[in-house]
Amino acid sequence: MILDFQMNSLVTVEPLGQGLWRVTARYDDNLFAAELGLEIQLPALDIKRAGIDVKRDVVGLVPDLSNAMANLVGVRVGQGMTKIVRGVVGGSDGSDRVADLVMEAMEMLINALTVPQLKQAMEVASTEIQYHRDGPKVYLNDRVTGDDAVKLMAQNPRLKDSCVAFAGLDT
Amino acid sequence: MLTYSRMKSVGVQKQGEERRVVSGVLEDELYAMECEIAVNWSTLTIEAVQARMKRFTTKRCPLAEEVFVKAEGWKLGPDLDSRIKKELGRAGCRHMAILMVDCCRALARAEFARDLTAAREQEPNLDAKVLLEDFCGRYPDLAGYLRFR
Repeated sequence: MILDFQMNSLVTVEPLGQGLWRVTARYDDNLFAAELGLEIQLPALDIKRAGIDVKRDVVGLVPDLSNAMANLVGVRVGQGMTKIVRGVVGGSDGSDRVADLVMEAMEMLINALTVPQLKQAMEVASTEIQYHRDGPKVYLNDRVTGDDAVKLMAQNPRLKDSCVAFAGLDT
Repeated sequence: MLTYSRMKSVGVQKQGEERRVVSGVLEDELYAMECEIAVNWSTLTIEAVQARMKRFTTKRCPLAEEVFVKAEGWKLGPDLDSRIKKELGRAGCRHMAILMVDCCRALARAEFARDLTAAREQEPNLDAKVLLEDFCGRYPDLAGYLRFR
């Protein structure tokens, strides 16, 4: 069957040097397309620059967000960011869909900063796996994080019971 | 140099008058996954869910596949996102929950896009906002869910 609606999204994270990171979130579907850019400074993880370029808005409901983007400067990636971003970018005068995009960009920075730790866990404490739904000719999973490392990670309050991998590992 | 990227791609198809099918894929440095969802459009009810963890980090990750089947019988509407994230994301996989939320929202947006295309064949200058009002009247549960603003 032929598709009659498509959505594509790409979020990229790159270091710019001296603790400054750029996150770019691109969204494109039949009705709406936009590119959001955030620059975020470590170690405080505060937003130094925010911009949105709406390239397509067929319904025409997304308002001018230049003030909202300016007001994002100083907002920190971390606890409480959802409420702040919803207040600054979303709501009746703003755009909830762009607020979603901002949230996604911020979450992807957290993912990017977490990846090196997960990669390290894979390197030092991994175990071989052959998953029955993988293959039969090409296997995407040759090694996964070992049980001891998973138990250790599950002690992190942010990860504990956050998904099936870290659930019920109290002992 | 780029250190992290996440790609999501979602496609929607109409299968007859009643059935809508959406398929989505997500891929980043750590994970690759896909899901397919079938919805009965007259009742806005999720009829079938298939979730597949393709590339993952722990051997427990694939256990999430069975968790997402619990969404069968749920309806598209304002509380769907939070149910998927809280009930399925935490019990299964947060990344798959994000993909599923995107898939379900794409289904609703696709229906409006389909209606808009058909309406503009009759009336090329039709204001999309006018049609949106009509659409939300026909599908009140989707009014706040479409999130066009």
